[in-house]
Amino acid sequence: MTLVQGGPNDHALPSRPNGTYYDLPQVKAAPFKSGAVGTYVFLAGLSGASALFSALLSRRRRRYGDSAIRRADALSMLAPTLGAGLLIYDLKTPQRFYNMLRIFRPSSPMSIGSWLLVGFGGAATAASAGEMLGRHMKLGWLRHLGACFRVPAALTGVGLATYTGSLFAATSTPRWAAAPKSLSVQFGASSVASAATALAFAEPRSDLRRSLDLVAGAALAVELAAAQSARRAYRAAGIQADGPMPIRDQLGTLLPLGLIAASAVCSPGPQRTLSRLACLAVLGGSLAMRIQTIEAGKSSAADPRVSLRLARRTHSAMRK
Amino acid sequence: MEVHQRARNYPESGFDAPIPDEAELTAQTRVRPGRSYGFFTDTTLCIGCKACEVACKEWNNLPADDLGLTGNSYDNTGALSAHTWRHVSFIEDNVRAEISRPFQSGWLMMSDVCKHCQTAPCVEACPTGALFHTEFRTVVVQQDICNGCGYCVPACPFGVVELSALDGKAHKCTLCYDRLKGGLEPACSKACPTDSIQFGEMEALEERALRRVRDLEARGIDDAYLYGVPGSPGAAGGIERLNAFFLLTAAPERFNLPVAPSRPSDRTMPSLAAGITAVAGLALAALFLFGRSDRT
Ligand code: SF4
Repeated sequence: MTLVQGGPNDHALPSRPNGTYYDLPQVKAAPFKSGAVGTYVFLAGLSGASALFSALLSRRRRRYGDSAIRRADALSMLAPTLGAGLLIYDLKTPQRFYNMLRIFRPSSPMSIGSWLLVGFGGAATAASAGEMLGRHMKLGWLRHLGACFRVPAALTGVGLATYTGSLFAATSTPRWAAAPKSLSVQFGASSVASAATALAFAEPRSDLRRSLDLVAGAALAVELAAAQSARRAYRAAGIQADGPMPIRDQLGTLLPLGLIAASAVCSPGPQRTLSRLACLAVLGGSLAMRIQTIEAGKSSAADPRVSLRLARRTHSAMRK
Repeated sequence: MEVHQRARNYPESGFDAPIPDEAELTAQTRVRPGRSYGFFTDTTLCIGCKACEVACKEWNNLPADDLGLTGNSYDNTGALSAHTWRHVSFIEDNVRAEISRPFQSGWLMMSDVCKHCQTAPCVEACPTGALFHTEFRTVVVQQDICNGCGYCVPACPFGVVELSALDGKAHKCTLCYDRLKGGLEPACSKACPTDSIQFGEMEALEERALRRVRDLEARGIDDAYLYGVPGSPGAAGGIERLNAFFLLTAAPERFNLPVAPSRPSDRTMPSLAAGITAVAGLALAALFLFGRSDRT
């Protein structure tokens, strides 16, 4: 661009930095508190998958007894209590939290999730209360009544553990929108891994512990694969991906995977130690992954080149 | 432009009640529920006076955002926000270069606004039903219902709606819902001195806009196109049309507009299905592992 020489405005104007509008953000970042919402997403996953496990284990009650079921029940209570509290805390007008249940809007994962949380809260509470009260008060019928809620709790639990992926995917935030399927597979698998290792942590029976660890191992492998495919999508979209495999992912997936593999060949004593270490790594990694996903999404919204490029790509894909 | 016959009934200013169907006198349209209304913003007519921004702030009683200079040409508003529902962007295209054509033809100015999408991603995201399509097919946040969850903010593909820190609710252009109900045209289009912002019924507006493009072409301006009418840039990926659409003469990106906004809700089901499939697979594996005969 040739400028008029010698004039008072003889300097290059920042009129067209890279073809965007002064490099200003093109979409707005979500106003979520990353810590609170990330913790909720983690708890929703842990509780949802725990309810799934208590349903599965109640089918093998004769073999493994009741104690694992009761522990899973306790974990399933985290989302409807602490989790729901965190969600309300994140609202900017929290006294109107109940408006979430004013309508059901199937196009909105936020609405789907609100109803899932309510449904899950009811079913999981009924199932665990039936189990606990039936045992203490020696009321068989109460136990049976509670058992009726096992399957609904497990089904809504599966939803609760995965819908959070679509919650982020169904936005215009570039990093969340770039890999909608991988994101919820990653969230769902991480939820299963966290619940399985948490149950293994307190499990005295070595056979059940080994089985739970194997499930966790499989879930971690799925999570790893989903994370890799998400990273490919980010790179293709021009989103700054944090290296080929950031240390957080390694600590949260590869490390526990290694520990579980090593524990599989150990005798029950050291197996338990390794399994417990794996549990700590999985829980920490699972929480960190959620918070980091939110943070990274928010910062991806700041770069107009990314969101505009994503739109261009959709455009040419549609034209084909 | 001829003066509407009814205008003669109101020779004085200063009325004790609004003129019935005032929009007919100022925008040649009657506002009736059940029909679709919107804005046609013709950027070739914009002179960057910001009367729309002022009129909007005045009518809607919106607080000021940052007071200061951004250094980005005359744009000191920066962006649409919870408190700024009209935003005039300024682009200086070779204004001071030798190749500049005479008569300030290097200036690009555009009054940006909520697009009032049909169908609207913010409405599809809102879990409380606070965001809704009105009887005028505009998109409005009901202030007595919004609980400030903020999910509409990342849903909007145009970066329009925002939460206000002042009251913890989502805010954006209402296309002057209150004025429409009273038969008045929106404040910004009424204030626009060049008719760069035109208010009207969608069908008539789109027709008028197409005529304008053809007219400009005839005058030798061949890069004019519409953004946001069906089949054009801006109306893509399940967003059929924008009830606030634009006539542009530069790439949409120059104005921070996406060529092909996508509809976020299209990602809800595929994403949910993939996650549930993965968890169901792992559950089956767990069921199998729990049922294995003892090894140890
Ligand atoms: S531009 Fe954004 S805020 Fe306006 S209707 Fe469309 S999605 Fe909603």
